[in-house]
Amino acid sequence: MSFNKTKFTSLFISLLTIHCYCQQDDKKQDSITVERLEEVVITGQYSAQSINKSVHEVTVINRAQIEAQAGNNLADVLNQTLNINVIPSASTGKSSVQLFGLDSQYFKILVDDIPLVSDEGLGNNADLSQINLDDIEQIEIVEGAMGVQYGANAVSGVINIITKKRSKYKWLISPYVQEETIGNEFNFSNKGRHIQSLKIGHNFSKNLYSNVIYTRNDFNGFFDNQKGRDHFLNDDKRGHSWLPKLQNTVKLLVNYKGKNSFKSFYKFEYFTENIHRFSRQVNPNFNPATQTTNPIGDDAYFNTERLYNLLNFTGKIKEKVHYNLSFSYQQQTRNTNQFKYFIKLRQKFDEQDFEYESRKVLYSKGNFSNFLTHDFFNFQLGYEVNEIRGFSSSVSGSFDGKNIKRTLGSYDVFGSAELSFNDEISVRPGVRVLTSSLFKTQLAVSLSTKFLLKNKYELRFVVGTSPKLPNYAELYTFFVDANHDVRGNPNLKPEQGRSIFVHLKKKINFSEFRIQSKLSLNYLDVLDRIELGLINLIPLQSKYINIDVYKTIGAFLNNSFTYKNTLGSIGIGYSGQSKVLDSREIKNDDYLFSLGVNTNFSFKIKPLQSTLSVFYKYNGAVYQFVQQTDEFGNTILTRGKQSGYSMLNTSFQKYFLQKKLNLTLGVRNLLNVTQVTTTAVEGATHSDAPSNTLLGYGRSYFFKLIYNLNFN
Amino acid sequence: MKKQLIIIKATLLLMLVISCNKEDSQDIVPEFVVAFENKDASFTATEKRKKVKLVFSNTSRSAGTIILEYTESGVVYGEDYTTLPATSSGSIELPFKEGQKQVSFTINKLKNALEDTANTVSFTIKQVSLANAIIQGNTNFALNFTEVASSGAIIAPLVGGPNQPNQVYVDLSSQLQTQVKRDTWDLGFYNGDEFRVKINGAIFMGAAKLGTTDLNSVTENSVATLQVQIKTSAPNTGQYFDEPTGDITKTAIEKISAIDSENFVYLIKLGFKVSQKAAENGSVELSGDARGWKKIRVLKQSSSYVLQYANLNDVDYNEITISKKADFNFNFFSFDTERLVNIEPNKNKWDLNFTVFTNVIDFGNGSLGGYGFSDFVTTNVYGNVSAYQVLTEDVAYDTFNASNVNELLFMLDKTVIGSNWRSVFSRLTKSDRFYVLKDESGNIYKIRFNNLVDERGERGYPSFEYSKL
Repeated sequence: MSFNKTKFTSLFISLLTIHCYCQQDDKKQDSITVERLEEVVITGQYSAQSINKSVHEVTVINRAQIEAQAGNNLADVLNQTLNINVIPSASTGKSSVQLFGLDSQYFKILVDDIPLVSDEGLGNNADLSQINLDDIEQIEIVEGAMGVQYGANAVSGVINIITKKRSKYKWLISPYVQEETIGNEFNFSNKGRHIQSLKIGHNFSKNLYSNVIYTRNDFNGFFDNQKGRDHFLNDDKRGHSWLPKLQNTVKLLVNYKGKNSFKSFYKFEYFTENIHRFSRQVNPNFNPATQTTNPIGDDAYFNTERLYNLLNFTGKIKEKVHYNLSFSYQQQTRNTNQFKYFIKLRQKFDEQDFEYESRKVLYSKGNFSNFLTHDFFNFQLGYEVNEIRGFSSSVSGSFDGKNIKRTLGSYDVFGSAELSFNDEISVRPGVRVLTSSLFKTQLAVSLSTKFLLKNKYELRFVVGTSPKLPNYAELYTFFVDANHDVRGNPNLKPEQGRSIFVHLKKKINFSEFRIQSKLSLNYLDVLDRIELGLINLIPLQSKYINIDVYKTIGAFLNNSFTYKNTLGSIGIGYSGQSKVLDSREIKNDDYLFSLGVNTNFSFKIKPLQSTLSVFYKYNGAVYQFVQQTDEFGNTILTRGKQSGYSMLNTSFQKYFLQKKLNLTLGVRNLLNVTQVTTTAVEGATHSDAPSNTLLGYGRSYFFKLIYNLNFN
Repeated sequence: MKKQLIIIKATLLLMLVISCNKEDSQDIVPEFVVAFENKDASFTATEKRKKVKLVFSNTSRSAGTIILEYTESGVVYGEDYTTLPATSSGSIELPFKEGQKQVSFTINKLKNALEDTANTVSFTIKQVSLANAIIQGNTNFALNFTEVASSGAIIAPLVGGPNQPNQVYVDLSSQLQTQVKRDTWDLGFYNGDEFRVKINGAIFMGAAKLGTTDLNSVTENSVATLQVQIKTSAPNTGQYFDEPTGDITKTAIEKISAIDSENFVYLIKLGFKVSQKAAENGSVELSGDARGWKKIRVLKQSSSYVLQYANLNDVDYNEITISKKADFNFNFFSFDTERLVNIEPNKNKWDLNFTVFTNVIDFGNGSLGGYGFSDFVTTNVYGNVSAYQVLTEDVAYDTFNASNVNELLFMLDKTVIGSNWRSVFSRLTKSDRFYVLKDESGNIYKIRFNNLVDERGERGYPSFEYSKL
């Protein structure tokens, strides 16, 4: 290796910072470091195994980190992860995710290795704020195309949420309350965020464990300068700046552990969400005769309901072949209650109830491995089948006033082999055949290679592909009238995502000081990207076509360390994106680069039984080519910029009463970032380019009080 | 253990307190205002009775009574008129029920009054029997027994909802509106000095000049490439549509010449039928099926027009002679009925037209193209009606009076009001502006638009108020 070792280590050290976990489980207090560095991961593995043995690079957010951020749902914790951007929408109340600049259609969310339904897809288009974390052991994030392991639409990566499935106590009763300001707004009637939860777990016998969790998350929205529902002047001040929503989650788990490594669990979840939207616009409804107004709001309630069932079996056939079988039925429906509202009279009228969107999913996945007992060769065979019954109402898109109903059946088989030539080199090629009721048969391939080099360097190459299926808008849009002609295209091909990752990892120990350092390089592209293309100038006609190419490259350096009672990490990433927009007349496919830094640390104050944690992420400026009109009326391409910003969260946790009581006090968004200026948005027809992007509602304070009544 | 239980209980109690329901079911008792819909009205010579409407600010919460008083000037109850409900005491009682939004009474004219004398009866709201009632706004109503220009009114033109099927002609001085279905005519033959033909922009018609004077030589094949270009919402299409301001010398069809060889054949796109499709709340659905194509040639014969027309592949054509009619701006011809149809009222009997409209806008780089507009309001420029826009930051509507009128600003332009009065995004009228309009007789009105949609938010239900200055 030509690398100068001392230079390399000093680089690591100079980049060090801190990152820490308070271990909830008191008995394991002293083994924190071991725990930290020997994390067990599941994503993309034949079976759960040490993160070091994993052929994929898995980023883990563990329970302690979730607790330190008082994370109630996925949106609360993911915004500290490098490469991931959580994009909250003030107008819909949804939080979506962007990874490598690709939106949530390219990204899959799994729970216990099984994709989670949303109202727009299976695993995709998830609203992070709808995914409750109260039963979560850890969150695993794997970047890169994982079509072999997880099928279509796993282009930029996957998030795998691993739930807790056991307790060492006979009884576990744990209620908690969490009170949080929304910006500087808080009261007990209609402001702030109020969470109450109760978890009860019981070991009925050595073999049977069960728990139930109920959580109520009452997010009252952010008023900012808005004045809520009852404001009746048409001065743009009605409603909320961020929509209020109320979520209820009930979860049930039954876990059975039998003989001969047979295990089975059943999980059930019922989730509801009610979002209230009160229009900013007020129709004054002026009556010149009486000189009075009877103001009218154009309001809506959005009611989401999710039902989730998962039955899983793992075991061995003839004491040899490992199997892992999952069966799931899931559905999510978003209903709309749309109405007009006489604001002064507080009276609803002209009410309409309709289903906005829904997905109903029958799903099964099975893995079989360990057919052979060789140490150097193992292979896995598996299937993944699902049937998604989708519904999109006419108002959810431009479908010529029609509701879209579609059943998409996907029937995939996959196989992969693991070859361990010696302790130093292992190779894992994989392939998946994706057949479907609507699209041509697709192929996904993967190749992962791991080298253990001298001086404890670990080197991994991970190559993967995954197709991305066209969405409803791309397939079924039909917007044709005297002034417009925009059409979907039922003959679209799936987009093709490909990625190559190289990871170089090294651990260094100096007695009490342990460092793990990782350098990653990546290339990811999406071919046949679907865009609205101009297919005719006179008359003006647009249609969705497979035309563009998207490319991203990046380099990331991540270091984590432990020293005595301090844990920390720092990551730095530099990535560029290029869009080959053949759908546009003028274009520029130069790479546009941006910088990201994240760091966190925690410091354990043992005598006080408390932990101080800090999370910081810097999102560098993001650039994008945008079309604009110059002073002569010509369309030109300019490099738009969204300014950089920083997110800083901090918390203090303390135990009381022999650790029965756990108090967390914290501040989210300490730097009080609410919006960033941007010139990276194009003015579309009928709207102007906004100059600010809303990012958050500013600094907020929280406290969380957990009571753990555990006994045998 | 005891301590633990206390803590658990306290925590659970806290949860209950916080999660208690906060939906408020407060019942609001709204103000209840009663007013006359309009301030005045007048009998025409032929009218026998008049219905007078009183409107409420809100639906009545219980039954009640309104008491009106009246004063007479030049007319006598029982001799010149009676009312229903009748009275003998000098006041009229109007009962209403719970859940009503308006109430009305009728005045029957017994004989025609003499011209040139003040013959009016004025009604005043004296009392409303409900506890929360307020009398404000139009508290008086004057009925003239001779025809005089209205001092103002509130008019809701019956455009007909989100498909906007009607063109509505409004005459401010008489408070009258006339509706015409917008796809019932195709060509308008100008009755003024010029010899000009306009096409129906309310259904997005287009016209393209062909390089021949031989109508029979034109076929579908010979115009196929031209056909796809005649379309709204596309650049470089301005030449296929009439000049939107109403300048009669700039119609898509060139002036009709006395020399036949100068009158070329035109390809006519007949636009679209009125859509029957339900629109999304707050949107419009204007265009239905395409109405097809015609080829035409217009000639001049002494002081009349001769229209020659045929379907594209026909080898023969029909012909109709159209003479000018001085009382009207245009003579209207329909290809559906193949005859002249009545569309516009007499040229001095309308001021505003609510219509769907083909505008011509700049698509960038000076390229002009047609663009369809809903909720358009044109002024009767051929009937010498002019107008201009006033921003409320300069003068408020309520305080604007005759002394604020600037004669220099009046423009003979159909599009002065146009679509400027409304926003399709907010679905509201623009409250920062109003209009001043001068009719042929020199009456000047201020006009304010109050609604683009009805209470349910449906498009195609405009309303405006106006006052004579």
